[in-house]
Amino acid sequence: MPKQGFQPFMESPLHHFKLDAEAQPRRADGRIWCNELPHLGYAVLRGDTAEAGFAQLVQQVTGLALPLKAGAVSQGPQGVLMWTSPDEWLLVSHRQRLADWTAQLDAGFAAQQLFAQTVDSSGGLTLAWLSGTEHITVLRHLGVYDFESIPLGHMVSTILGKATVQVIRLDSDGVFVLFRRSFADYVWRLLRRAAQPYGFAVCQLEARSDHPLFAQLAAPRPSLILA
Amino acid sequence: MLVITCPYCQEAREEEEFSYAGEAYIARPAVPEEVDDATWGDYVFHRKNPRGWHWEQWQHVAGCRKVFAVKRHTVSYEIAGSWTLADGKALYEEEQA
Repeated sequence: MPKQGFQPFMESPLHHFKLDAEAQPRRADGRIWCNELPHLGYAVLRGDTAEAGFAQLVQQVTGLALPLKAGAVSQGPQGVLMWTSPDEWLLVSHRQRLADWTAQLDAGFAAQQLFAQTVDSSGGLTLAWLSGTEHITVLRHLGVYDFESIPLGHMVSTILGKATVQVIRLDSDGVFVLFRRSFADYVWRLLRRAAQPYGFAVCQLEARSDHPLFAQLAAPRPSLILA
Repeated sequence: MLVITCPYCQEAREEEEFSYAGEAYIARPAVPEEVDDATWGDYVFHRKNPRGWHWEQWQHVAGCRKVFAVKRHTVSYEIAGSWTLADGKALYEEEQA
Protein backbone atom coordinates (compact mmCIF):
# COMPACT_ATOMS: atom_id res chain seq x y z
CA MET A 1 0.00 0.00 0.00
CA PRO A 2 1.29 3.49 -0.78
CA LYS A 3 2.30 5.55 2.19
CA GLN A 4 0.37 8.67 1.24
CA GLY A 5 -2.31 8.12 3.85
CA PHE A 6 -6.01 8.69 3.39
CA GLN A 7 -6.75 10.69 0.27
CA PRO A 8 -10.50 10.98 -0.25
CA PHE A 9 -11.73 11.89 -3.72
CA MET A 10 -15.12 12.27 -5.33
CA GLU A 11 -16.36 9.57 -7.60
CA SER A 12 -19.44 9.80 -9.78
CA PRO A 13 -22.00 7.07 -9.03
CA LEU A 14 -21.63 6.05 -12.70
CA HIS A 15 -17.82 6.02 -12.72
CA HIS A 16 -17.72 2.27 -13.37
CA PHE A 17 -19.32 2.80 -16.80
CA LYS A 18 -16.26 4.85 -17.82
CA LEU A 19 -18.45 7.33 -19.72
CA ASP A 20 -15.53 9.65 -20.48
CA ALA A 21 -13.81 6.95 -22.50
CA GLU A 22 -16.97 6.21 -24.47
CA ALA A 23 -17.98 9.83 -25.11
CA GLN A 24 -18.03 11.25 -28.65
CA PRO A 25 -19.18 14.58 -30.08
CA ARG A 26 -22.96 14.71 -30.42
CA ARG A 27 -24.35 14.22 -33.93
CA ALA A 28 -27.92 14.50 -35.24
CA ASP A 29 -28.15 10.88 -36.38
CA GLY A 30 -31.41 9.85 -34.70
CA ARG A 31 -29.66 8.10 -31.85
CA ILE A 32 -30.21 8.80 -28.16
CA TRP A 33 -27.35 10.88 -26.85
CA CYS A 34 -26.84 10.73 -23.15
CA ASN A 35 -24.27 11.53 -20.49
CA GLU A 36 -24.01 12.20 -16.82
CA LEU A 37 -23.29 15.66 -15.42
CA PRO A 38 -21.17 14.56 -12.49
CA HIS A 39 -20.36 16.29 -9.24
CA LEU A 40 -22.88 19.12 -9.36
CA GLY A 41 -24.05 20.67 -6.12
CA TYR A 42 -27.62 20.09 -4.93
CA ALA A 43 -29.38 21.63 -1.97
CA VAL A 44 -32.95 21.38 -0.75
CA LEU A 45 -34.46 24.66 0.45
CA ARG A 46 -37.37 24.46 2.81
CA GLY A 47 -39.33 27.50 3.80
CA ASP A 48 -42.67 29.19 4.05
CA THR A 49 -43.59 31.51 1.18
CA ALA A 50 -45.96 33.34 3.54
CA GLU A 51 -42.91 34.70 5.35
CA ALA A 52 -41.98 37.90 3.57
CA GLY A 53 -38.19 37.66 3.77
CA PHE A 54 -37.82 34.10 2.46
CA ALA A 55 -38.30 34.53 -1.30
CA GLN A 56 -36.47 37.84 -1.14
CA LEU A 57 -33.43 36.34 0.56
CA VAL A 58 -33.27 33.41 -1.87
CA GLN A 59 -33.41 35.80 -4.81
CA GLN A 60 -30.81 38.08 -3.28
CA VAL A 61 -28.32 35.27 -2.57
CA THR A 62 -28.76 33.08 -5.65
CA GLY A 63 -30.02 35.59 -8.20
CA LEU A 64 -32.84 33.14 -8.97
CA ALA A 65 -36.50 33.98 -8.42
CA LEU A 66 -38.26 31.49 -6.15
CA PRO A 67 -40.65 29.55 -8.45
CA LEU A 68 -44.11 29.51 -6.89
CA LYS A 69 -46.05 27.58 -9.54
CA ALA A 70 -46.15 23.78 -9.41
CA GLY A 71 -43.27 22.33 -11.42
CA ALA A 72 -41.78 25.67 -12.40
CA VAL A 73 -38.03 26.03 -12.79
CA SER A 74 -36.14 29.29 -12.50
CA GLN A 75 -32.83 29.39 -14.30
CA GLY A 76 -29.87 31.67 -14.60
CA PRO A 77 -26.25 31.48 -15.70
CA GLN A 78 -25.26 30.33 -12.22
CA GLY A 79 -27.71 27.51 -11.69
CA VAL A 80 -31.26 26.31 -11.43
CA LEU A 81 -33.94 26.53 -8.73
CA MET A 82 -36.82 24.07 -9.02
CA TRP A 83 -40.21 23.81 -7.34
CA THR A 84 -40.51 20.35 -5.81
CA SER A 85 -43.28 20.90 -3.30
CA PRO A 86 -45.27 23.92 -1.98
CA ASP A 87 -42.64 24.40 0.73
CA GLU A 88 -39.59 22.78 -0.87
CA TRP A 89 -37.24 23.76 -3.67
CA LEU A 90 -34.16 22.14 -5.16
CA LEU A 91 -31.18 24.31 -5.93
CA VAL A 92 -28.62 23.00 -8.43
CA SER A 93 -25.35 24.75 -9.11
CA HIS A 94 -21.60 24.34 -9.14
CA ARG A 95 -20.57 22.50 -6.02
CA GLN A 96 -18.38 25.22 -4.58
CA ARG A 97 -20.84 28.00 -5.38
CA LEU A 98 -23.63 25.99 -3.80
CA ALA A 99 -21.65 25.62 -0.60
CA ASP A 100 -21.18 29.41 -0.50
CA TRP A 101 -24.87 29.99 -1.18
CA THR A 102 -26.12 27.60 1.50
CA ALA A 103 -23.83 29.22 4.06
CA GLN A 104 -25.18 32.66 3.14
CA LEU A 105 -28.78 31.44 3.14
CA ASP A 106 -28.42 29.77 6.53
CA ALA A 107 -26.91 32.94 7.96
CA GLY A 108 -29.74 34.98 6.44
CA PHE A 109 -32.44 32.64 7.76
CA ALA A 110 -30.92 32.85 11.23
CA ALA A 111 -30.55 36.65 11.10
CA GLN A 112 -34.16 37.15 10.01
CA GLN A 113 -35.46 34.35 12.24
CA LEU A 114 -37.16 32.66 9.30
CA PHE A 115 -38.66 29.19 9.63
CA ALA A 116 -36.50 27.89 6.81
CA GLN A 117 -33.50 25.66 6.22
CA THR A 118 -31.12 24.39 3.59
CA VAL A 119 -30.02 20.78 3.32
CA ASP A 120 -27.03 19.95 1.15
CA SER A 121 -27.71 16.71 -0.68
CA SER A 122 -24.89 16.95 -3.21
CA GLY A 123 -23.66 13.48 -2.32
CA GLY A 124 -27.08 11.93 -2.85
CA LEU A 125 -28.14 12.94 -6.34
CA THR A 126 -26.89 12.95 -9.89
CA LEU A 127 -28.08 14.27 -13.23
CA ALA A 128 -28.19 12.77 -16.72
CA TRP A 129 -28.65 14.63 -20.00
CA LEU A 130 -30.85 12.84 -22.50
CA SER A 131 -31.22 14.13 -26.04
CA GLY A 132 -31.87 12.99 -29.58
CA THR A 133 -35.05 12.99 -31.64
CA GLU A 134 -36.51 10.01 -29.79
CA HIS A 135 -35.57 10.99 -26.25
CA ILE A 136 -39.21 11.44 -25.22
CA THR A 137 -40.06 8.00 -26.59
CA VAL A 138 -37.41 6.49 -24.34
CA LEU A 139 -39.02 8.07 -21.30
CA ARG A 140 -42.44 6.92 -22.45
CA HIS A 141 -41.18 3.34 -22.52
CA LEU A 142 -40.28 3.64 -18.86
CA GLY A 143 -42.83 5.85 -17.16
CA VAL A 144 -46.54 6.62 -17.16
CA TYR A 145 -46.28 10.41 -17.27
CA ASP A 146 -47.18 12.29 -20.43
CA PHE A 147 -43.57 13.37 -20.96
CA GLU A 148 -44.06 15.34 -24.17
CA SER A 149 -46.40 17.69 -22.31
CA ILE A 150 -43.70 19.12 -20.02
CA PRO A 151 -43.44 22.80 -20.97
CA LEU A 152 -40.09 24.51 -21.36
CA GLY A 153 -38.76 25.68 -18.02
CA HIS A 154 -40.68 23.04 -16.09
CA MET A 155 -39.87 19.86 -14.25
CA VAL A 156 -41.95 16.88 -13.27
CA SER A 157 -41.30 14.42 -10.49
CA THR A 158 -42.47 10.95 -11.43
CA ILE A 159 -41.52 7.28 -11.62
CA LEU A 160 -39.36 5.53 -14.22
CA GLY A 161 -39.35 1.77 -13.74
CA LYS A 162 -40.19 2.10 -10.01
CA ALA A 163 -37.44 4.65 -9.35
CA THR A 164 -38.38 8.22 -8.48
CA VAL A 165 -36.84 10.71 -10.91
CA GLN A 166 -37.26 14.34 -11.79
CA VAL A 167 -37.44 15.14 -15.49
CA ILE A 168 -36.38 18.71 -16.20
CA ARG A 169 -36.93 20.43 -19.53
CA LEU A 170 -35.01 23.65 -20.02
CA ASP A 171 -34.97 23.68 -23.83
CA SER A 172 -36.39 21.64 -26.69
CA ASP A 173 -33.03 19.99 -27.32
CA GLY A 174 -33.35 17.37 -24.60
CA VAL A 175 -34.21 16.74 -20.99
CA PHE A 176 -32.28 16.37 -17.77
CA VAL A 177 -33.12 13.37 -15.63
CA LEU A 178 -32.32 13.78 -11.96
CA PHE A 179 -32.11 10.68 -9.80
CA ARG A 180 -30.69 9.41 -6.55
CA ARG A 181 -27.10 8.27 -6.30
CA SER A 182 -28.24 4.97 -4.83
CA PHE A 183 -30.40 4.34 -7.90
CA ALA A 184 -27.91 5.72 -10.41
CA ASP A 185 -26.64 2.40 -11.72
CA TYR A 186 -30.20 1.10 -12.09
CA VAL A 187 -31.58 4.23 -13.80
CA TRP A 188 -28.61 4.46 -16.16
CA ARG A 189 -28.98 0.83 -17.24
CA LEU A 190 -32.72 1.38 -17.60
CA LEU A 191 -32.23 4.40 -19.89
CA ARG A 192 -29.56 2.60 -21.88
CA ARG A 193 -31.74 -0.49 -22.32
CA ALA A 194 -34.83 1.52 -23.31
CA ALA A 195 -32.77 3.53 -25.81
CA GLN A 196 -31.33 0.43 -27.49
CA PRO A 197 -33.87 0.23 -30.37
CA TYR A 198 -32.96 3.78 -31.42
CA GLY A 199 -29.25 3.47 -30.81
CA PHE A 200 -27.58 4.69 -27.67
CA ALA A 201 -24.48 6.85 -27.55
CA VAL A 202 -22.61 8.76 -24.89
CA CYS A 203 -22.07 12.39 -25.86
CA GLN A 204 -19.24 14.63 -24.82
CA LEU A 205 -20.30 17.29 -22.39
CA GLU A 206 -19.79 20.69 -23.90
CA ALA A 207 -18.72 23.51 -21.62
CA ARG A 208 -21.45 25.99 -22.50
CA SER A 209 -20.88 29.13 -20.48
CA ASP A 210 -24.43 30.43 -20.96
CA HIS A 211 -26.25 27.26 -19.92
CA PRO A 212 -27.71 27.05 -16.39
CA LEU A 213 -26.53 23.47 -15.88
CA PHE A 214 -23.73 22.76 -18.38
CA ALA A 215 -21.98 25.94 -17.28
CA GLN A 216 -21.66 24.47 -13.81
CA LEU A 217 -19.24 21.93 -15.29
CA ALA A 218 -17.08 24.52 -17.00
CA ALA A 219 -14.93 25.02 -13.95
CA PRO A 220 -12.39 22.26 -13.40
CA ARG A 221 -14.10 19.27 -11.89
CA PRO A 222 -13.32 19.06 -8.20
CA SER A 223 -12.43 15.42 -8.57
CA LEU A 224 -9.87 15.52 -5.79
CA ILE A 225 -10.73 16.97 -2.42
CA LEU A 226 -7.54 18.19 -0.86
CA ALA A 227 -7.45 17.99 2.89
CA MET B 1 -55.55 1.99 -12.23
CA LEU B 2 -56.73 5.09 -10.46
CA VAL B 3 -55.97 8.52 -11.83
CA ILE B 4 -55.67 10.89 -8.91
CA THR B 5 -55.37 14.65 -9.11
CA CYS B 6 -52.80 16.04 -6.71
CA PRO B 7 -54.08 19.35 -5.33
CA TYR B 8 -50.51 20.57 -4.83
CA CYS B 9 -49.07 19.58 -8.22
CA GLN B 10 -52.45 20.48 -9.79
CA GLU B 11 -52.20 17.62 -12.23
CA ALA B 12 -53.87 14.26 -12.75
CA ARG B 13 -51.31 11.53 -12.15
CA GLU B 14 -51.33 7.75 -12.22
CA GLU B 15 -51.86 5.74 -9.05
CA GLU B 16 -48.28 4.43 -9.33
CA GLU B 17 -46.99 7.79 -8.07
CA PHE B 18 -49.11 7.71 -4.92
CA SER B 19 -49.21 5.80 -1.70
CA TYR B 20 -52.38 5.08 0.25
CA ALA B 21 -52.33 6.67 3.67
CA GLY B 22 -55.49 5.36 5.31
CA GLU B 23 -58.84 6.80 6.23
CA ALA B 24 -59.01 10.57 6.47
CA TYR B 25 -60.19 12.74 9.35
CA ILE B 26 -60.01 10.25 12.21
CA ALA B 27 -60.57 12.41 15.27
CA ARG B 28 -58.05 11.77 18.03
CA PRO B 29 -59.57 11.92 21.52
CA ALA B 30 -58.79 15.37 22.88
CA VAL B 31 -57.67 14.10 26.29
CA PRO B 32 -56.29 10.58 25.73
CA GLU B 33 -55.69 9.95 29.45
CA GLU B 34 -59.36 10.30 30.25
CA VAL B 35 -60.97 8.06 27.61
CA ASP B 36 -61.81 4.43 28.32
CA ASP B 37 -60.10 1.53 26.57
CA ALA B 38 -63.00 0.96 24.21
CA THR B 39 -62.88 4.51 22.87
CA TRP B 40 -59.10 4.42 22.54
CA GLY B 41 -59.32 1.04 20.81
CA ASP B 42 -61.84 2.48 18.36
CA TYR B 43 -59.52 5.36 17.61
CA VAL B 44 -56.47 3.17 17.09
CA PHE B 45 -57.93 0.13 15.32
CA HIS B 46 -61.49 0.56 14.11
CA ARG B 47 -62.08 1.95 10.63
CA LYS B 48 -65.33 2.69 8.81
CA ASN B 49 -64.65 0.41 5.83
CA PRO B 50 -67.80 1.58 4.05
CA ARG B 51 -69.41 0.23 0.93
CA GLY B 52 -69.75 3.49 -0.95
CA TRP B 53 -68.14 6.88 -0.67
CA HIS B 54 -65.01 6.91 1.46
CA TRP B 55 -62.80 9.79 2.53
CA GLU B 56 -59.20 8.68 2.44
CA GLN B 57 -55.69 10.06 2.47
CA TRP B 58 -53.19 9.63 -0.32
CA GLN B 59 -49.58 10.71 -0.38
CA HIS B 60 -47.93 11.86 -3.60
CA VAL B 61 -44.71 10.02 -2.80
CA ALA B 62 -43.14 10.32 -6.24
CA GLY B 63 -44.02 14.00 -6.59
CA CYS B 64 -44.48 16.66 -3.95
CA ARG B 65 -44.64 14.10 -1.09
CA LYS B 66 -47.68 15.83 0.40
CA VAL B 67 -50.63 14.02 1.96
CA PHE B 68 -54.08 15.08 0.80
CA ALA B 69 -57.71 13.96 0.97
CA VAL B 70 -59.51 12.00 -1.73
CA LYS B 71 -63.19 11.03 -1.80
CA ARG B 72 -63.42 7.68 -3.54
CA HIS B 73 -66.24 5.19 -4.08
CA THR B 74 -65.17 1.78 -2.79
CA VAL B 75 -67.35 -0.15 -5.24
CA SER B 76 -67.07 1.77 -8.49
CA TYR B 77 -63.63 3.27 -7.66
CA GLU B 78 -64.97 6.57 -8.92
CA ILE B 79 -63.15 9.57 -7.49
CA ALA B 80 -65.33 12.53 -6.56
CA GLY B 81 -62.42 14.87 -6.02
CA SER B 82 -59.23 15.57 -4.14
CA TRP B 83 -58.45 18.40 -1.78
CA THR B 84 -55.75 19.51 0.58
CA LEU B 85 -56.46 18.13 4.05
CA ALA B 86 -57.57 21.57 5.25
CA ASP B 87 -59.92 22.23 2.31
CA GLY B 88 -61.36 18.72 2.38
CA LYS B 89 -62.14 18.83 6.07
CA ALA B 90 -64.79 21.52 5.64
CA LEU B 91 -66.55 19.44 2.97
CA TYR B 92 -66.21 16.28 5.03
CA GLU B 93 -67.74 17.90 8.10
CA GLU B 94 -70.55 19.37 6.02
CA GLU B 95 -71.31 15.87 4.71
CA GLN B 96 -71.19 14.24 8.12
CA ALA B 97 -73.44 16.86 9.71
